[in-house]
Amino acid sequence: MLSLLPQRPLLKNWSAVCILLSLLGAVSQAVFAGQPQRIVSINLCTDQLLLMLVGPERIASISSLALDPHSSYMAASASEHHTNHGKTEELLPLKPDLVLASGFAARPAVELMRRLGHRVEVLPLASNMAGIRSNIRRMAELVGAEEKGERLIQNMDQRIESVARNLPKHRPKGIFYQPRGYTSGSDTLQDEAMHLAGWSNVAAEVGVSGYSSIGLEKLLMAQPEQIFTSSYAPGTSSMAQRQLQHPVIRQLTRARPMVEIAYRLWICDGPMIADAVEALAAAHK
Amino acid sequence: MNKAQTTGTSTISQRNIISLFAILLGLLFFTSLSIGSNPIPLLRATAEAAGDSPSIISLILTEIRLPRTLIALLAGATLGLCGAVMQGLLRNPLASPGLIGSSSGAAFGAVLVLYLGLADMLQLALPVGGMLGSLGAMLLVYILAGRDASIVTLILAGVAINTLALALVSLILNLAPSPYAVQEIALWMLGSVADKGMHDFWLLLFPTLIGWGLLAGSGKALDALTLGEDTAHTLGFNVPAVRWRLFLATALAVGAAVSITGAIGFVGLVTPHLIRPLVGHQPSRLLTTSALGGGILLLLADMVVRLLPPGQEIKVGVITSLVGAPFFLYLILKTRRVQI
Repeated sequence: MLSLLPQRPLLKNWSAVCILLSLLGAVSQAVFAGQPQRIVSINLCTDQLLLMLVGPERIASISSLALDPHSSYMAASASEHHTNHGKTEELLPLKPDLVLASGFAARPAVELMRRLGHRVEVLPLASNMAGIRSNIRRMAELVGAEEKGERLIQNMDQRIESVARNLPKHRPKGIFYQPRGYTSGSDTLQDEAMHLAGWSNVAAEVGVSGYSSIGLEKLLMAQPEQIFTSSYAPGTSSMAQRQLQHPVIRQLTRARPMVEIAYRLWICDGPMIADAVEALAAAHK
Repeated sequence: MNKAQTTGTSTISQRNIISLFAILLGLLFFTSLSIGSNPIPLLRATAEAAGDSPSIISLILTEIRLPRTLIALLAGATLGLCGAVMQGLLRNPLASPGLIGSSSGAAFGAVLVLYLGLADMLQLALPVGGMLGSLGAMLLVYILAGRDASIVTLILAGVAINTLALALVSLILNLAPSPYAVQEIALWMLGSVADKGMHDFWLLLFPTLIGWGLLAGSGKALDALTLGEDTAHTLGFNVPAVRWRLFLATALAVGAAVSITGAIGFVGLVTPHLIRPLVGHQPSRLLTTSALGGGILLLLADMVVRLLPPGQEIKVGVITSLVGAPFFLYLILKTRRVQI
């Protein structure tokens, strides 16, 4: 439609311009009819997908976590947006026509917004590729950006496939180890990403499922060849973070130093999992 | 009546008790080394630990179980010993590191140092923070309660300072930049010896030994103090100097212990009361036995924690409090009966 505008002969005729403009208006009305124009997201995971799929003009607010460069893959493009802390009183004045939340949403806020007549959509937390794809599709559908969503999925799948083509035959033992001894067992994004990057996740092998702590003895017995970690707040100090300095961990990382995978790549499900898989695969060398 | 004879027999029985406790402690030490999430052959692990390249099982023994056991022993002994000393010094059966503020003060000091990042710059800052916090809180309680405080006054002053210190601990942990800090409130308030390393043990060892050294030999002065400060003075003891030495020693030992393990409750209060029926009421006889008893109690409690199903992360302070709190209530009831 836009390519019609520069055609000079038409421009000379004012009535033609008027007709054209009203036509354009009608078309855009038809295209965007029913699409939310004041979208509010109250969770980091929905924030990021929203920022990937929708331009700033339709985003009314995102959660404040989206600004944190350690947690948010989209921190750069998040900086110009209004931010919220998931509190109902912040959200109401924004008059949102769509409120997005994810699995760990502040439940009372979600329920209250619903009762007050707002449309609230809660996306589940995905822990594998199928879940990531379905979340992207669902989000794209909700905001009317299906094509863009498919492009994101295609690009993500292609990158992961190209990693898969260059993997070593033998799967070395890896583990994701966090402060306070937390690890990701089976049915987690980290497990999926490690698997796609050619590692076997020893946490899952010794029976850890979901996010749970693993004792130092169990960790030693599992004999991981490579430890991955994601600093959440580098430069801060706590008993939990001191645990990464334990002599046992130092011993385990003597041959292969701990590899840092940026938290923003896999704290939430999304196409950035491809970055995580690439970083994990690079650790084989 | 027959004073020499009574003293003689109880000294012998005290010696017996000390050797009995020492044997028990030794047995528990080896039992503790064999308790963990995986059964490991102890002898082979010991042999391999002596070798050049450490194996998995030798690492489990020397870097996980050994420091945990040693720290539980050291911290428990400190708490038991300081409980006995404080009960003697303040002539108050309810005095203990937990009650007179030295534990919560130490937790406050250690928390302040750790979460501000000072402990990362200088390892020694952690126990030093604990000691200063411990000493500060004890002095505050002492000043608030006054010298010859009644049980009630001392408890009130202790409750006030403890509440303040623990509120400050919560406040610091809530404001701390580390996202993990808030989850560690329970760790500081209940205490835990899990996941400690030998570096923690070395950090704990020296201030503890200095503290114990200052407390050793204070038995005679404490014995004299049971007769009142004036009598102690006429017996030739410099009471203010004794008091300062004991406060300082308690601050050193408890401050260091709490900065590594958090404030483990009730061991200091309960141990001397459990020991008294065995050795009598003279403070000098209580000290060594209370230290050994405290070590045994804390080690036992930590072994219980380790035998619970994994993944529960029960803090050792939960066990000591579950046993200690009913005992504390029993003590209060007993004291009330005496007062009536």
